Amino acid sequence: MQKLSLGIALTALAGSVHAADMGAVDEPIKLAINEWTGQHITTHVAGEMLKAAGYKVEYATAGMMNQFQAIADGDIHATLEIWSSNVSDEYAKKIAEGNVVELGDLGLDAKEGIAYPAHVAELCPGLPAWEALKECAQNFATAETIPNGRLVDYPADWGTPGADRMTGLELPFKAVPAGSEGALIAELRASTDRKSPLLITFWQPHWAMSAYDVKFVDLPAGEEACFNDPAWGPNPNAINDCDFSPTRIFKAGWVGMQDKWPAAYEILSNYALSVEAQQPMMGEIDVDGGSVEDVVAKWMADNEGSWRPVVDAATK
Amino acid sequence: MSAPADVSSGFVSLTVGAKAALITLVVGAICLILEPYAPWLVAWPKGWVLPTTDWVGSSLTWFLEGIKPVARMFSDVMRYPMDWANFVLNGTPWPLVIGLVTALGWYLGGLSMAALGFLGLSFVLASGYWAESMNTLALVAVSVPLALVMGGAIGILANEVPRVKNALQALLDIMQTVPTFAYLTPLLLLFGFGPVVGLIASAIYAAPPMARNVMLGLERVEPEVKEAAIMAGGTRMQQLFQVEIPSATTQIMVGVNQCLMAALSMVIIAAVIGGFNDIGWEVLLTMRKAQFGEALLAGMVIVVFAVIIDRMSGALATERKRYDRRVFWALVGFAVLFTVAFWSSMPNASDLTLLDPVADAVDQSLTDFTRTNGVWLDALKNNSMFYVLLPLRIGLDQAVLPFTWGFSWTSDMSQGLFLFGAVVGALIAWRGNLTGGLAFLIAIGMLETGIANLPWPFVLTGAAALGWVAGGPRLAMLSVGLLSTILVSGLWDRALLSLYLSGAAVFSCAIVGGGIGLLSAVSPLAWKIVRPICDMLQTIPLFVFLIPVLMVFQIGEFSAFLAICAYAVVPMIRYTRHGLVNTPDEMMEAAIASGATEWQIMRDIRGPYAAPTILLGLNQTILYAFAMLVIAALIGTTGLGQSIYLALGQADIGLGISAGAAMAILALIADRMVQGFAEERRKALGL
Repeated sequence: MQKLSLGIALTALAGSVHAADMGAVDEPIKLAINEWTGQHITTHVAGEMLKAAGYKVEYATAGMMNQFQAIADGDIHATLEIWSSNVSDEYAKKIAEGNVVELGDLGLDAKEGIAYPAHVAELCPGLPAWEALKECAQNFATAETIPNGRLVDYPADWGTPGADRMTGLELPFKAVPAGSEGALIAELRASTDRKSPLLITFWQPHWAMSAYDVKFVDLPAGEEACFNDPAWGPNPNAINDCDFSPTRIFKAGWVGMQDKWPAAYEILSNYALSVEAQQPMMGEIDVDGGSVEDVVAKWMADNEGSWRPVVDAATK
Repeated sequence: MSAPADVSSGFVSLTVGAKAALITLVVGAICLILEPYAPWLVAWPKGWVLPTTDWVGSSLTWFLEGIKPVARMFSDVMRYPMDWANFVLNGTPWPLVIGLVTALGWYLGGLSMAALGFLGLSFVLASGYWAESMNTLALVAVSVPLALVMGGAIGILANEVPRVKNALQALLDIMQTVPTFAYLTPLLLLFGFGPVVGLIASAIYAAPPMARNVMLGLERVEPEVKEAAIMAGGTRMQQLFQVEIPSATTQIMVGVNQCLMAALSMVIIAAVIGGFNDIGWEVLLTMRKAQFGEALLAGMVIVVFAVIIDRMSGALATERKRYDRRVFWALVGFAVLFTVAFWSSMPNASDLTLLDPVADAVDQSLTDFTRTNGVWLDALKNNSMFYVLLPLRIGLDQAVLPFTWGFSWTSDMSQGLFLFGAVVGALIAWRGNLTGGLAFLIAIGMLETGIANLPWPFVLTGAAALGWVAGGPRLAMLSVGLLSTILVSGLWDRALLSLYLSGAAVFSCAIVGGGIGLLSAVSPLAWKIVRPICDMLQTIPLFVFLIPVLMVFQIGEFSAFLAICAYAVVPMIRYTRHGLVNTPDEMMEAAIASGATEWQIMRDIRGPYAAPTILLGLNQTILYAFAMLVIAALIGTTGLGQSIYLALGQADIGLGISAGAAMAILALIADRMVQGFAEERRKALGL
C-alpha cells in the first residue's frame, strides 16, 4: 500500500502554487471517456477529484482519434490520457489553431516494445535477447509472410514502429498491421490458447500484459542518437536499430477552461497517476469484473493522502 | 449476352460481346508485351498523380466552415427531440416499456407477436444492456422521422419534377454506397461532437429506401385514380396528398420498414465516434477486449430490436387485420399496476447480469474450438492463401514459389499457360462461342498477372467493354470516366486491392450462396434453418463477426475475406431462393405435363426464369461486400477500406471523402453492369 500512496506524484509542489477561483461551478465539466479501461480509471480519478473540489462532472464517451474536434469546440473540456505514440494529426492541428491546450504529463510511465506471450520462449530459445529472432524467424512465418517471420504491428493509423525496428535491426520479419486493438488482443488470446508462435508490437500498462503473460524482447536502449545517426547501434547502416523511443502520456483540454474554471484547470494540470496505481485497478476491473466507479471510489477512499493535496492546493 | 457468333462469315458479323472481348484481349496483350519496357503501364507514376485528395480536402473544409453556423444551429435544435426521446425512454420504468411493447405486439399481430415483444425485451433486460439499448432506441426514434421526411421529400420531388429524377436517383445511389465512415469526419466538423452526428449519418443512410419506395408507390397509382382526382378539381397538392399518397400507402409502408432497419444498423456504426453511451459503444468496448461472448450478447440485443421492429412495422405495412383493443388496454393496465405495486422492490435494470454466464460459456467454447481445431484450420487457411487468394492478387508469376507450391515460376511456364489458354480458347470459339473463348484467354492472362498488378489501360478497356455489352456506350463512357478519376487521384493501387478482395468474396458468395439458395428452394426444412441465420447475419453489428474470425484465422486477408463473405452471402441466398421458388404456375404445369423430371425442371424452367432475380441478388451481394470492406479494415486489410479508416483516425477529410468516393465508384459501376445484364435477361425472357 506504501507504493499506492505514492501513486499520485505531486508535481504541483515543484511549480508555483496558489489557490485559484472556482469559476462556473454550476456548469458541468465534461471529461472524455475513450475506448480503454486504463483511460477510464485515469478519467474517473480526475473526475472524483474535481467533484471533491466542488465541481459538477460529466463523462462523455468519445473516440480517441476523433475527440479533438469536440475539445476544440468546447463540447468536451478535457481528455486525460493521450499517448504520444498514437495521437492523431488532428491534435497537432488543434494545438496550432490554439483551441486545445496541453495540460502537462500524466506521469504514467509507459513502455512500448516488441513482445511475445511467455510460451513463445520455448519456440525460440534465446529470447528475450533480440538476436535470437534472427535464427528462429521461420518459426513465426505464416502464409502471408513466408519466408519471413510475421510481426503483428500496431494498426496502420498508429504508425509503424514495429516495422521500423525490423528494418533497423535487419530482422527477417514482415510487419502486418493489426487494424484495431481488438485484433491485437485476439492474436494474443489465440496464440496463448493454441501455444502458437507470435511476435507482436505491444505496450504497458495494459491488462493483457498479465492476462496473457506477455514479455518484451530486449532491444538495445532507445537513445536519441539511434533515431538520427545510422552509425549508432548494432546496424551501422540504419536508424531505428534499437528499442522504442520513450512514450509520453499527457493531458489536454479546451482552451477556454482556464478562464471558466480556473481551479479545475489547475487541478487537472497538476494531476498525475502512476502505473503502480493504475495497473491494479485495471486488474480489478478487467480481470475481476468490478465496475470502474466502485474500484475508483475504493481507491480514492484508501489513498486520500495522495490526491487531496492537489485539490487543496488549487482551492484553498 | 453472347449469342454464338458465326465465325466463318468473318469479322463483320461479330457480336458486340465478341468485339468487346477481342479489343480487351488485344489491349491486354500489348500491355503484357510492353510491360518490361514501360513500368508506368502497371503502376501509375507518382508524378502523374494530381493532388486531388488535397484539393477535395481543402475545398470541402472551406465549404464546411462556411455552412458550419447553420449546421450548428440545426444540431442545437435536434438536441431537444434527442433529449426528450432519451428522457422518455430512460425515464419510463422498464416493466411499463415491456408491457407497452407486448400490448402493441398483440394489437398488430396477435398472440405470437405479443410473445415476440415480451420475450425479446425480457432478453434485453436480462442482458444488462437496458439503459444502453434505450439510448440507441432514442437515437433511432429521432433519426427515423428525419429519414422519413428526407426520403419522402426526395421521392415526391422525383415524382413531381421528372427532369430531376435521374439526378435524384444518382444521389440516392451515392447516399447508399459511400461508406458511412468516410463522411463521419466532415459531419463531426459540421455538427459538432455528440449524438447528432450519429443521428444525421443514420438518417442519410436510411432515407434512400424510403425515397425509392415513395417513388415506386406513386408511379404505380392507377391512372383512373389520378384522373378521378383531377376531375374532382383538386389542386396538384390536394391530388397528391389526398389521393395519390393514400393510395400508395402499402408501398410507402414497405419503405418505412426498410428505413427503420437501415437506421438501426447505421446507428451502431456511428458509435465509433462516441458521444452517446449506446449499445454500439458497448460492442466496440467488448470488441476491443476481444471478448466474443460479451460482444455477441450486446450484438444479439440489436438483433432482437431489429426483429421486433421489422416484424411489427411489417405487420403495420401489410396486414389489415387488427386485434382486440380490450386485450391491448388490459395488458397496458396490468403493466401500469405491476409497476406501481412493485417498482420500489425491483432491481435497477443495469444491475442485471443474468446472461453473463452464457456469455462466458460462449467465450470459453470459442477458446476450446480454436484449441482443438487449430491444425486443420491453419491448413485450410494456408491452402486457400497459397492456391487461391495469393495467385488472384499477385498472379501466378509471383505467387508460385518453392516454399508455397514447391517450385518456382519460370517464363516458360507463363508461355505454356498462355498457349494452354489460347488452345482451350480456340476450342471454345471453334465450338461456336467466340466470346467465351476470348474471355477464357483473358481470364488466363489475369490469373498470370494477378488483379493487383493489372495494367491500368487493360482495366479501363475491360471496364469499357463490359459496360458496352451490359448497357451500351453510355455505361462504357461512364465507367471509364469514373475509373479515370480514381487513377489520377493516386488511389488506384488501393482500389485494385479492394477490387481483388471483394471480387474474390463476391465470387465465393455467388457459388456458396447460390448453392444454399438452391437447397433452400428445394427443401423447406433447409430454409427453416437458413432463414433465422440470414436474419441474424444481416442485423447483428458487423464488428461482432470479426472476433471469432480473428481468433481462428488471425490477422490478414483470409480473415477479412471470410468476414466479408459472412455478410455478403445473405442476399445471394435470399434472392436465389426467391427466384427459384416463384416460377409461374403455368410454366411449371406445362413442364410437368410434358414429363420433365424434377432436375430438368430446375435446370430448364426454374433456373432460366429465376436468372434476373438471381442477378439482382448478385448485385446486392456486390454492394454488401463493398460495405463490409471498411469494417474488414479493422482486422488489417489494405486497400480503400484501410484508407477510409486511416482518414477517420486522422480526421483527414480529403482522403476520407476521396477513398469513400472511389469505393462508391467501384460499387456503382459493378451495380450498373449487373443491372444491365439482368435487364437483358429479363427482356430475353419477355418479362
